[in-house]
Formats: sequence, C-alpha cells, structure tokens
Amino acid sequence: MLEAKNLTKRYGSHTALNKLNLSIQPGEIFALLGQNGAGKTTTINLFLGFIEPTEGSASINGISVAENPQEIKKYLAYIPETVMLYPNLTGLENLEYFSSLAGFDYSKKELGGLLTTAGLQAQAFDQRLAGYSKGMRQKVGIAIAVAKKAKVLLLDEPTSGLDPKASNEFSQIIQSLAANGTAILMATHDIFRAKEVASRIGIMKEGNLESVIDASMISANELESLYLKTV
Amino acid sequence: MHFKFITIIARQEWASIFRSKIPLALFSVLLVVSLLATFTGWQYVSKFNHQQKNAHQQVHDQWMSQPNRHPHRVAHYGYMVFREKSPLSFFDFGLDSYVGNSVFLEAHRQNTVNMSEAGFSNGMLRFGELSMAMVLQLLVPLFIIFIGFQTISGLKQNGVLKILLCQKASYLDILIGKTAGLTAVVWALFLPLLLVSLIAGNLLITGEIQGETLLRTLLLTFLYALYFLIITILVVAVSAMSKSSKNALMVLVLIWMLFFIVIPKSAQSLGGSLHEAPGKIAFEQAIEQDVSEQGDSHDPDDPHFASLKANTLKKYGVDSISHLPVNYGALVMQEGENISSNIFNEHFDRLISIYKSQNAVSSVLSFIDPYLAIRNISMNLSGTDFDSFTAFQKQTEKYRFEKTKKLNEIHLTQIKYQNDSKQKVSAKNWQEQPDFAFQPLTINQNLTAGGLSLTALLAWVLAGFGALTYVSSKRAYQL
Repeated sequence: MLEAKNLTKRYGSHTALNKLNLSIQPGEIFALLGQNGAGKTTTINLFLGFIEPTEGSASINGISVAENPQEIKKYLAYIPETVMLYPNLTGLENLEYFSSLAGFDYSKKELGGLLTTAGLQAQAFDQRLAGYSKGMRQKVGIAIAVAKKAKVLLLDEPTSGLDPKASNEFSQIIQSLAANGTAILMATHDIFRAKEVASRIGIMKEGNLESVIDASMISANELESLYLKTV
Repeated sequence: MHFKFITIIARQEWASIFRSKIPLALFSVLLVVSLLATFTGWQYVSKFNHQQKNAHQQVHDQWMSQPNRHPHRVAHYGYMVFREKSPLSFFDFGLDSYVGNSVFLEAHRQNTVNMSEAGFSNGMLRFGELSMAMVLQLLVPLFIIFIGFQTISGLKQNGVLKILLCQKASYLDILIGKTAGLTAVVWALFLPLLLVSLIAGNLLITGEIQGETLLRTLLLTFLYALYFLIITILVVAVSAMSKSSKNALMVLVLIWMLFFIVIPKSAQSLGGSLHEAPGKIAFEQAIEQDVSEQGDSHDPDDPHFASLKANTLKKYGVDSISHLPVNYGALVMQEGENISSNIFNEHFDRLISIYKSQNAVSSVLSFIDPYLAIRNISMNLSGTDFDSFTAFQKQTEKYRFEKTKKLNEIHLTQIKYQNDSKQKVSAKNWQEQPDFAFQPLTINQNLTAGGLSLTALLAWVLAGFGALTYVSSKRAYQL
C-alpha cells in the first residue's frame, strides 16, 4: 500500500533521508522511532507529496507520489502532532467542512457517527473547537481521516502531549482502523506506545533507517535499549 | 479547479471573518471616515457651486447693465467665466484642488485659469484632503491586508493547510476559494457604501440623477470592485508565499508603502524630469516674444501690418484708410487678435502635450502599481482629471476669441474711423451675445483618456490569477 524505494532527500550537502526502502501492507501499523532530525517528518512529507524526492520514489497504492501529487490525496489522510483546525467552528462543523472538501456529503447523523467512532463524547459535538483539549482535537482529526475513507494514514507524533488515558484511547482507535485494512505510518518518540500499537518498528538515525523490528518479537525494555544503542 | 470546493472554502472564509470582531471594528472606523469624507466633499462642492453661481450672476448682471458704449471699451471691460464642479467631484477631488475654475476674459490677452484651492490654501489642503475615493484607494487595501494577511500563512503555521491539502481540494481551489471569500466580504462591505454615497451625494448636489452620471456611477463601482479584487489576490498570494503570518504582514505593509507612496511619488518626479514643463512666467514670456515677432500693430512700419493695409486699400479700391467703408482700426485689432490667439493656442497645446506626456508616465506605471490605475480612471470618470481642466481652458479661449471678434465686428461696421473713440453703440449689441457654459467631457472621451489605466486594471486581474496558479503549483509554498 505504502512503498518507498531508495527514497532520498538532500538539502544541499545535508542528507535528510538516505535511501529509504520500506513497504507497508494494508492493516499494518509501522512506527518510526528516532530523534528530532532523524528524517521521520521528511519521510511523511515525501509520502504526502509536500516535498519532492532527490532520488528514489515514494508510492501509494502503486501510484508515484511525486508524479501524481493530487491523485494520491484520494487515498491518504494525515494527522499532525497538533490538530488545530478551526477554533471558531464546532467539532461537527470542522468535520463537515473537511469532509466536504474531500468530496463527501455526510448528513449530521453520519458526521456524529464518525465522531463517535473517533471516540469523541457526544456532548462535545456542538462545542467550539477552541474549548477542546488536545486529545479531543486529535479525535476530530481521526474522524476527518475516517470520513475520507482513507486507505493510508500518516501520523506525525500523534500522541505527544496527550495524557496517558487519551493516548491509550488513541492507540485503540488506530488499531481498529488497521484492523479494517488501513495501512498506517506513524512517526513517534513514544517507545512504549510504539511497542503497544505497531506491528513493525523502525529506528531512524541521521536520515538512515537503521533497523526494523517486529513488535511482537521484542519487549518494551529491549526496544528501549536497542533504541538508545542506535541513536 | 473544482467550483464546488471553491464555494465551500469561500463560504467558510466569509463566515470566519464575520465571526471575528476585529474586521467589523475596522470596518466601522472606515465607515465613519468615508461617510465623513463624503459629507465634507458634498458640502464643499455644493458651497463652491453656490458661490460660483452667485459670482457668475454678478458678472453677468454687470455685463448686461453696461450703458451704450464704444465696443472696444466693452472688449476691455472683460468677462469672467466659471466652471462648475462636476457632479461626481465630491467623490474624487482629483486635480480640482490644484487647478483653477475661473478665468478673466478680455480683449488682446489670453489669461490662464486662476483661483485654485491650493492657491487659496487654508491649510487643510496641506494636510491632505480626504475624499471618499482616497479612502477606497488607500485605506480599503489596508483593511484587506489586515483581514487577509494570515488567510493562508496562518493555516501553514498551525498545520491546518497540510490537512486541507490532504483532502480532495487542490491548492489552487484553496487559493481561489480564499480570494473569493475575502473579495465577497470586501465587496459586501464597501460596494453598497460606494454606490449609495455616489447616488446620494449626486442627488444632493444636482437634485437629479442624469443617465450619464448613473452610468459613471455604475462604472466606478465596477472598477473599484476590480481594484479590490486585485488587492485581495495580491494579499492571498503573498500570504500563500510566506512561511509565517508575521512575514506576510511585513511584506504586505512594504508593498503598501511601495504602491501608495514610493511609486506614485516617483512617477510624478520621473514624469516631471522626463518631460520638463516651462513655468508660468516662461510660458507667458515665450508667447509675448512670438507675438512681437509676428507683427506689432502699434508700429506703423511693421511689415505684416503694412501689407495688411496695402491689401485692404486695394480690396476696397481706395487710397487712404479714411476712405475705407469699414473701420480700419477694428480690422487691425482683429488681425492682432488672430495672431495672438493662434500663437497662444499653439503654445498652450504644446504645454498640454508636455503635461500629457508627464501623465502618460503614471499611466504606464499603472502596470506595476494598480493604485495608479484606479487613481487615474477614477479621476477621469469623476470629471476631475487633467483633460477636464484643459477642456475648460480651451473652451474659454474659444469663447473669448469669438466674443472679442464679435465686438471687433461691431467696431468695424458701426463705428466710423474718424473720431473713433467718441462714438458709442447700443448696449443691445453685447447683451445678445451668448453666455459661456462649460461643456464637460463625455463619458467616451473620459474612458478614452483613461484607456491605458483601464487596460492596466484588467491586466492586473489576469496577472493576479496567473500568479495564484503559479503559487499553487509550487510545492515550496505548500509547507
């Protein structure tokens, strides 16, 4: 579903991402670990088509991102570290706005259903986003992704700054999305969360994907020491 | 481009502007300022026209109540003509404050237009007058900058743009949608205000709405709509090219200063130095010199007048001017009038063409500064432009020439050569002469004069959409 072949991005002499080879299947959650500047966000931006690769290619559903930046938007959804959206609009209005721009015309009831799926409590639907907690905004972000019926979900440090309960809820939701066949790429600092939720974990350092581990084969502690050794 | 997405984005932009209080607060300030400008403009113009009407009446009464006189004394008595301010001059003062509105007409002399507001400046002018046109041309762009500078850059900073771009709408849809929404807000706030002020002010000043004035009003409204669209496109484009709202605001304020202060001032001095115009004294001296070279009617040996004398004697078959059936003195005077009037017109046309070349510089610069475009075309349509002023000067000279010619004809046929100055003719002779009425330029003439600025304005709209398309195609402007 998601594929990188020798994906490389250089800014002048600085190599932000070096020959990344990665393939993520439908239903799989791939967690990218690494320090700031390791190339996680560059990878996500390359898949989103916001930057052009220097070498190699990124493709989604077999379609090259660099060549068809508009086409691949159909398949993917993106949730940033902080979902800001429109603070003046209610949760429901935000979802309505973004899903209409994705070409969907949902009824109020369907929109409410999507927010419920994303784990937002019903009494928050009609409150302005300005009063939402970070976790609640994140859930609206998920609802927007679900509303798009995206086959690929790209998450950039989605759980940073969430309280443990919100973080746990978040994990459950993306796991259920994966169970429905969504391919998920998640950049994160949270080793514990990565081990909990991901099927595979990659550790990046200075633009290189140093190691890829099957999450079921490693304990959180082992993962932590491997991470510390790598970076 | 998806029309549906553009509409959705435009609607959201409209709603979010009206949800916030700052735009409306800014608008109320501008509303008060423009109403004030309209009110003072209307008051000034109606007072001015009223005063002029009185002055004109006085001049006319004096002219009519002259006793039976020698026609040449009448020619020297002189007449004063006035130009009423155009019905839309309250909206855009244009050059009106700097050029005059009245001329003293007399025999032998081509006086230039006198009595400008700047000449009588009471200080207000030095501070800069505030007309409604100025509010719309200078302050509304600032308003657009303030409501629009973060329209895209703000979304970049909080990451919403990325999410937006991951939906189905393209970046171009977003840029055009934002432009449409902002433009709709600006139009909704200012165009009705413009239209109502123009119609109300015009009704108050002239007491009626003429078809042509209505057409001018509608054209002005349309052109200001285009102008606001251009500024909005510019704001959206800069916002889309900026990494942060702070940068966008800084760049936009710089552009504002460039467009509204630097380029207009430079256009003026550039025009002045490229096409240097003579001063008033030099202008008059040059005319005097040419006239004295052509022929001096007071010099009996002057060759030009010597040949005139010979030809006249031959024509009537007599050997002395005292035997002529017509008054030779009047003939000489008319000949002098013909010469000086021709020379004046030549010089004046040359002067006008210099000024026109100066103005052309600012018309050409309209292609790099939309403010110059709207400023020029707005003046044209309000009848306060340079061409309206020159039309007045030319019409007065024509009127003066014909009035004097008529008096010379009376002199020629009704006054005997012998004992010339002791004779009188009936006052009826000049009482029957038509009064002066300024014929303003037609809308077609105004539009022709503003053709270049009009083209510039349309070119800006096209270039604006071109720029949005370009910005939307660059990945670098999406992050």
